[in-house]
Amino acid sequence: MATSIAVPQVESSKRSWNFLRLVPGVLLLAAVGYGGKVLEKFLNTYAKSHHWTFPNIEYVLWAIVIGLVISNVATVPKIFQAGIATYEFWLKLGIVLLGSRFVLADILKLGGISLALVVVEISLSLLLMHFLGRAFNLNPKLTSLLAVGSSICGVSAIIAAKGAIDADDEDSAFAIASILALGAIALFSFPLIGHALHLGDTAFGLWSGLGVDNTAEATATGAIYSDAAGRVAVLAKTARNAMIGFVVLAYAVYWAKRGQASEVAHKGAFLWKKFPKFVLGFLLISLLVSVHAFTKDQVASLGNLSKWAFLLTFAGVGLRTNFRQMSKQGLSPFLVGAIGEVIIAALTLGLVFGANRIWGL
Amino acid sequence: MATQPVSHQRKRFTLTQDTWAVILALVLAVAVHLGLFKVPW
Repeated sequence: MATSIAVPQVESSKRSWNFLRLVPGVLLLAAVGYGGKVLEKFLNTYAKSHHWTFPNIEYVLWAIVIGLVISNVATVPKIFQAGIATYEFWLKLGIVLLGSRFVLADILKLGGISLALVVVEISLSLLLMHFLGRAFNLNPKLTSLLAVGSSICGVSAIIAAKGAIDADDEDSAFAIASILALGAIALFSFPLIGHALHLGDTAFGLWSGLGVDNTAEATATGAIYSDAAGRVAVLAKTARNAMIGFVVLAYAVYWAKRGQASEVAHKGAFLWKKFPKFVLGFLLISLLVSVHAFTKDQVASLGNLSKWAFLLTFAGVGLRTNFRQMSKQGLSPFLVGAIGEVIIAALTLGLVFGANRIWGL
Repeated sequence: MATQPVSHQRKRFTLTQDTWAVILALVLAVAVHLGLFKVPW
């Protein structure tokens, strides 16, 4: 009897300890993110008062740069690590709340275009990464992980596929490191290319959502360009994320047939398990806005809440990107990823131009 | 026929990060709807 009472007590104290463990890192995310916002405002005001011509650099980029400097110049103490890892949670919260800035009709139109492009993008990316993996003699499971990561949604897809195809920890670490390093490069290169090509907000947002692999980086890349581009990037990336179950299932079945992974017993349950549930939350909030459940001020508040959540995410993107650690992961997977990503970026840019012609984005 | 020992250990029900994100978003949306707070940027 005593034991049955004692166990829950230990559990609950453990749980509250787990929760407390997150506090320092979350506070650091908030400080870095808010620092980015303050820096943007300060620099703009300073440049204006001194009559300088200074490009408006969004708070998104400042938050990422401050995070990058902290994580690469100093070593982030262990006490902050657990909280920093919550950046993905804030990303999902931000995406769900961003549903408030779309009416369902917009989602159906833009989401439909995104979905059509996503299907083409995924097929091309998978083919390309397998071709490159073979050309560079990469281990086939590592190639599968890189293909899933670059065609769908980066780290989450790699983690989902790792379990489904029984890949090695080392292979998934390689694949994750490549995807993250390439995401960091895209953050800075995509907006420069977009400005050089005079891409509109919708076209750039679509390109970020289709071409940048990890959801946090895709969101940040769009937001660096403009607020509107950030929203479209989230929508396109969400459409891409929704496909994760189908691709991972196809790989699981393929490796199981070769006797190198466990059989998938219930395919429907597998698809539901892998489906990113925050997509449903995003649609639900958008539905509520579409049926006028919120006033204009309330919609603005929800949109701002989403921005605050993204601010923590962007700080986390910088803080968890450590170039020293990434450089330890070997050159071949990175090269395959890099060549693949450059080609995928060019292909998706072509797709966006094509869509622009057909639908006039 | 020997009976199987009954396990008293309950399977712990845990929510995924996605579900927590949706729950928190809905709680915040309800709070905003009820006018409990406004969020500036």
